[in-house]
Amino acid sequence: MSNGAPPLPHFVDPRPFDPDETEQLTAEQERYSLASQWQLMWWRFRQHRVAVLCGAVLLALYGMILISEILAPYALESRNTGFIYAPPQAIRLFHDGQFIGPFVYGLEYSVDLETMARRYEVDRTDVQRIRFFCLGDPYAFWGLVPGRFHLMCPAEGGTLFLLGTDRLGHDMLSRIIYGARISLTVGLIGIAISFVLGITIGGLAGYFGGWVDGIVQRIIEVLRSLPELPLWMALSAALPISWSPVLIYFGITVILGLLDWPGLARAVRSKLLALREEDYCTAARLMGASPPRIIGRHLLPNFMSHLIASATLSIPSMILGETALSFLGLGLRPPITSWGVLLIEAQNIEAVVLYPWLMLPMVPVIVTVLAFNFLGDGLRDAADPYSTTGH
Amino acid sequence: MRAVLVLFACIAMTAAASAASFVETPFFAAAVAEGKLPPVAERLPRTPFVVTLDGPERSPGRHGGDLRMLMSQPRDTRLMVVFGYARLVGYNQNWELVPDILSKLDVDEGRVFTLHLRKGHRWSDGAPFTAQDFKFFWEDVANNPDLSPSGPDAFLRVDGEAPKFEVIDETTVRYTWTKPNPFFLPALAGARPEFIFEPAHYLKAFHPRYADAADLQAKITAAGQRNWAALFTQKSRQYRNDNPELPSLQPWVLQTRPPSSYFIFIRNPFYHRVDQHGRQLPYIDRVTFTMASPGLIPAKTAAGDADLQARGIGFDNITVLKQGEKRNPYRVLLWKTARGAEVAIYPNLNTIDADLAPLVRNTDFRRALSLAIDRDEINQAVFTGFGRPGNDTVLPGSPLFKSEFETKWASFDLKQANAILDGLGLPRDSGGIRKLPSGRRLQMVVETAGEDPTEVAVLQLVQSTWRKLGIDLLVKPEQREILRNRVFSGEAVLSVWSGLENALPNANTIPDEMAPTSQQQLSWPKWGQHYESGGRAGAPIDLPAAERLAALRQQWLTTLDAQQRSRLWQDMLAIRADEVFTIGTVRMVPQPVVVSTALRNVPKEGIYNWEPGAFFGVYQPDTFWYADDRSK
Repeated sequence: MSNGAPPLPHFVDPRPFDPDETEQLTAEQERYSLASQWQLMWWRFRQHRVAVLCGAVLLALYGMILISEILAPYALESRNTGFIYAPPQAIRLFHDGQFIGPFVYGLEYSVDLETMARRYEVDRTDVQRIRFFCLGDPYAFWGLVPGRFHLMCPAEGGTLFLLGTDRLGHDMLSRIIYGARISLTVGLIGIAISFVLGITIGGLAGYFGGWVDGIVQRIIEVLRSLPELPLWMALSAALPISWSPVLIYFGITVILGLLDWPGLARAVRSKLLALREEDYCTAARLMGASPPRIIGRHLLPNFMSHLIASATLSIPSMILGETALSFLGLGLRPPITSWGVLLIEAQNIEAVVLYPWLMLPMVPVIVTVLAFNFLGDGLRDAADPYSTTGH
Repeated sequence: MRAVLVLFACIAMTAAASAASFVETPFFAAAVAEGKLPPVAERLPRTPFVVTLDGPERSPGRHGGDLRMLMSQPRDTRLMVVFGYARLVGYNQNWELVPDILSKLDVDEGRVFTLHLRKGHRWSDGAPFTAQDFKFFWEDVANNPDLSPSGPDAFLRVDGEAPKFEVIDETTVRYTWTKPNPFFLPALAGARPEFIFEPAHYLKAFHPRYADAADLQAKITAAGQRNWAALFTQKSRQYRNDNPELPSLQPWVLQTRPPSSYFIFIRNPFYHRVDQHGRQLPYIDRVTFTMASPGLIPAKTAAGDADLQARGIGFDNITVLKQGEKRNPYRVLLWKTARGAEVAIYPNLNTIDADLAPLVRNTDFRRALSLAIDRDEINQAVFTGFGRPGNDTVLPGSPLFKSEFETKWASFDLKQANAILDGLGLPRDSGGIRKLPSGRRLQMVVETAGEDPTEVAVLQLVQSTWRKLGIDLLVKPEQREILRNRVFSGEAVLSVWSGLENALPNANTIPDEMAPTSQQQLSWPKWGQHYESGGRAGAPIDLPAAERLAALRQQWLTTLDAQQRSRLWQDMLAIRADEVFTIGTVRMVPQPVVVSTALRNVPKEGIYNWEPGAFFGVYQPDTFWYADDRSK
């Protein structure tokens, strides 16, 4: 410039300055960039078809336990001594080539004197129409409101054992429906307990570090090194017999919850160890925020989504834990009915050879556990919405 | 009694005349040829016990074969002593006591017992079995302060007095009491027998009176025992049958050293019984025990893994076992049991629960409990109608049976039961459960060993009918030992077990099960312990009806007159039925017995019972044989 050459031509664009000109966002992209993390997760989750389906299944299952009394054709305590170990009755629509709506054929009971077996013959002349939206066995809805209304009932004087009966003549379908109430909620309550414990203890360990962390880690190591099943058994054997079944139920959930927190605590701790060094954390501390506030308000929300996903994944282990304990005769006891309690009956060779329907409570256990696993899988993918792997 | 015993002894002796030609056992033929074993004629006592097999279901057989059985734990090796059932005196199939190992038994006035051994009888290792073995037991075991700190066992004492023991000659011993001892012979004949002899030649090596001190100390150290008494006890448990070196008189002798999951018992070469054709018993060469978890025994039996099985299988399994008959070479026999009840509830009269004790000790309360059980429903639901509803008392097969014993307070009558409880001043709360005077809910815990799934099913039915009575029944399964200890200490209020052990008694059966005589009695463990310990432990009886039972039993002991004894028995049975000391439910439930189709001489209809009977023992398993040739 100093050699006196004429200045370069000068140009000023008259259009207003738009810094985003080269990367113009579509409306779609705009929505995406402005969305909250939860919204992003939801969008991401929706793409995981199986997880959505499983979520729907679980919603339906949990919806069912709200109205177990109405869904079950029989009341929980209803015993049919005349129909012990009756096989499942098939629902039919046509009788003698004629459509007459859903019905079952009656059962005829006899004893085989040679093998001492109970025999049930289907009586093809005895048409028992299933009644819908009907009055049947009396019950107390949620133990409070008396009622008799059922979704479906056996014909007057007839039977309706869609999944057969057990050794005292209880309808298996009704028992499975009632059992869901216990088996499905055990997981939720247990996880709630382990969540609170895991976050609190893991949070303290991670935030303070040092000797607090050291002690917590040692405790976790000890807890983890104990064999799980014997520990459950010991703890549940310690529950006093005179407790009411409801208390026992809470006792079991507390036991399951108390033993499940270490994994979660470790996850929280390692996250916090990293996050507490962030600038915003230092800033909060300098502004005088208390440790609970820093942990709860600033640190935890960073990975809450991850926590939810991992919680979902550990619910099935709670459900299996209850089932295993009850199966071993150490968990819930009759008259409380859970899927594990029902499976106690299926422990012998008779169930396998003669009464295979006693093993049916396995089906809802498998369905529930699988559904929770897929749901957790979907949630885990969704929990990190900015990653692009796989989608 | 004397006449009967002598008569049977004579039969055994005369039959021995035909013993001129004994048949060598193929199993030992090689050993005899090599000179390792003497030939059969020299192995048998000079007068063997000749078993005459000539009934419709009892025929003489042939040697050979293995008998496979399934067991659940290594300690079950003791069952071979039960099944083998070689006893000094044992029950025959008419439930009479007859000499077995003894050639003859003389009883005078019920108090002088002269035992005649068989000349030439040998232990399973070939050493002579003589009066010295009895002397060794009496002097060096029963009266040794280290081995028996409290002296000879209860069956050897009458009112605390021990017998005078004499060795008459090499094969004769005599026990003399000043008063009759009705316990002596039944104890010798028990399913779990009392042994009054020990293999002295073997055990002297472990006894400081005979063994070299340094030698013995070395053995004690090597075995890791505290002292010689512990070592001696470990080596000498004849009933427990866990030492393969211990010589035996049983038909089959343990070969495998425990612990193991598979046990082999081989035939005793010096066993004292022969059949009428001169074949030394047992017919079967070997018995094997395979350990299996209790839940798997029915399945393994149905798969044909056992040749003779009744343990571990029950009424519930009959259908599956019958189905297996088509696929596997066995048949299922249905035997009876001699128990008073399949499942019985025992109110613990010694309970320490201050609120419930007055109720449990109240006769009316116990009657109400019994009336509120629907025994017909239990029979139909749990036992498919094959049992017989009724109290825990003697069975119709017993000469002492009266139908009122079975039916008194045993009908299902909720109205009467409720009226009784109303009369006791137990009002119901809003949930329908009664309240105790202290304000506590009438909640009772019934404790069960829970080994048998039928037990729990019965309790569930009882639970539902007792609820209508206003009683909240809780079922608590726990381990057998824990259950016993909780009953003994009085912590358990109700417990569940099977009923009377021997519900087929006759007038001469000792009525010990009727009155408080043992801590094992779940209705009154402390009173029983008080009796057993001679007043040192437990508590004295403080209930008039139980005192009366004890007095009647005492009267029974002092009389020898059968009619008088029968009357006393029936008095006791009447009191028990009226007082409802145990609450029976269903009785006479069939017991499946799985038998290989090739196995002979197993009765089609037997009684499977512990005492008397020793399970298979009374049917002489040493006479069972295989119809197909299994000698190879």
